[in-house]
Amino acid sequence: MSARPPTYVQGRSPWRSSARRPGGPQLWLVESVVLVLVGLLIATATGNDLSRQIHTNHRLSADMSTWRAYAHRDFHSLSVSQDISGLTTNEIVCGNTTPGLPKERVQLCLLVKGPVRNGTRSVAGGWYLPARAEDEHRYRYACFGAPAYEGRCP
Amino acid sequence: MSVAVERGERGLAGAGLRQWAPAAAWLLALLLAAVTVKLVLDAAVGHRPLVPASPDISAWLRGPGQRLEYRDFLILLLVFSGAYAGLLALRGALPARASIALVVALHVVVFVGPILLSTDVFSYIAYARMGVEHGLNPYTHGPIAIMHDPVYRYVGVDWKHVATAYGPLYTLISYPLAPLGLKGALWGMKVEALVGSAGTLWLVWRCARARGYEPAWALLAVGANPLYIIYGLGGAHNDLLMLMAMMAAVSLTFSGRDGAAAAAVVAGALVKVTVAVLLPFMFLARRERGQLLARRERSLLLGAAAALAVSAVAAFAAFGAHGLDVVAALNRDAAFVSTDSFPTEIAHLFGKPGVFPVDHDLLKGALVVIVALLLWRTWHGFDWVAAAGWTLLAISVTSTWLLAWYLLWPLPLAVIARDRRLLVATLAVQVLFIAHQLTPLLAPVS
Repeated sequence: MSARPPTYVQGRSPWRSSARRPGGPQLWLVESVVLVLVGLLIATATGNDLSRQIHTNHRLSADMSTWRAYAHRDFHSLSVSQDISGLTTNEIVCGNTTPGLPKERVQLCLLVKGPVRNGTRSVAGGWYLPARAEDEHRYRYACFGAPAYEGRCP
Repeated sequence: MSVAVERGERGLAGAGLRQWAPAAAWLLALLLAAVTVKLVLDAAVGHRPLVPASPDISAWLRGPGQRLEYRDFLILLLVFSGAYAGLLALRGALPARASIALVVALHVVVFVGPILLSTDVFSYIAYARMGVEHGLNPYTHGPIAIMHDPVYRYVGVDWKHVATAYGPLYTLISYPLAPLGLKGALWGMKVEALVGSAGTLWLVWRCARARGYEPAWALLAVGANPLYIIYGLGGAHNDLLMLMAMMAAVSLTFSGRDGAAAAAVVAGALVKVTVAVLLPFMFLARRERGQLLARRERSLLLGAAAALAVSAVAAFAAFGAHGLDVVAALNRDAAFVSTDSFPTEIAHLFGKPGVFPVDHDLLKGALVVIVALLLWRTWHGFDWVAAAGWTLLAISVTSTWLLAWYLLWPLPLAVIARDRRLLVATLAVQVLFIAHQLTPLLAPVS
């Protein structure tokens, strides 16, 4: 047999539904404190992550500005990858040396490191890649700066 | 004297606010509709990855919009969220008919537009076409097995090798759409999502009324929610079908039809297994002291067992033993990690690069403790709807693979639960999720 649903109370919403607190007020209080603490933890973690991502994005923008300033090319199709040779903020920025579709021309790759100053970072060196080649050790040539000493070119 | 004057001023201010509330609510409703129209028109112009590559189903909307850039999307999402929050705060200021009209309008606008923000719908279609057009079992093969099929190029790159994780009922429901061609199947999926959403909202209305809450407010809280509309309906996610089954179970429980309610939960779990968490809470809520198995408990168990038996036979006949092993698929997906998940954010907070296998074990342990506590609370009279909602929220918060539409799972329960903290927590978690998306707005890479 189905029960007839009660008519709803005008103006009542779930926001006002906890007048009675099953389990007693003390348990409700303990639960609420735990919930607030968990909420604070994930809110702090979210805020921290947002700030971390913003910092990373600023660094990526600086990396691209550094490449443009160094190469004297106002190209926007640049690829930025983290230098995975260590737990650093060093990054490798690659872009075409002449106008064309991404990676369709000879590419200049720069190893960028250090703090952001005036919207750019330091160039520690770099190498070239032939057209349509990925940034792999076997394709690199004409290493200069630190990468030349580190043996990053074959 | 001064106190009386102060009270009088407050009263006037309150009266002024009450006077302006309906006008403000109407404005916010119009803003919500306008933002949705703008979003859909811009999305129709196309831009990946916000609008994934797709068969052209919304070319006729092209013209007034402009290419949807990430910054524009985030601004629209923030405005939508702000208007939604305002409407919830102005509770009761928008007439019930206007609330219904607004939710219907949002649905229609999103329905006619392109697929938003996710390639999942193409995985659904790929699995259906694997079974119907290519005679392959979607529980043993990933879409890579049909790489010459026209849908393959639209499947998300992460899912090309992955067999389906969805329940056998959902896979069977999607099979009739496979022969309709790519566009036909896509529209079919959109219709399924629309039906799932409409059913969910109708049941939310019924459940809210049964519990003595304002149904129009509950409808608005779910049906105009930014994640629900933009991510859930916009992406035509099958979570909406799961939510419909979940709310059908709740509604049937409220009307005393426990067997049918349990069957509805099983049906929902055979779409997406997550909803199965409702069953133990329903069972404990039905428990009558002094009797081992009272009539309503028996009815619930019988309903669940009968639905499970029928669907197990159907799933085995259609997909073999692999179709029954939904837990394995769940375990596989639980090992994935997304950058938006809260465990990943907490790992970053403590200086770790991400979550490790040991963290997965810790999170599973924490989830078991939370569920045990909620079961104990339900045993002692806590609202089972709230307890089930808290469990769904805990699953999404502890998951290392968090997607926007997972945060919709507790929402329909939260608006009808007898624990207002659940709604506050659900909306707060959604706010944090949206806040985490804002980096391109705050620090664009150029």
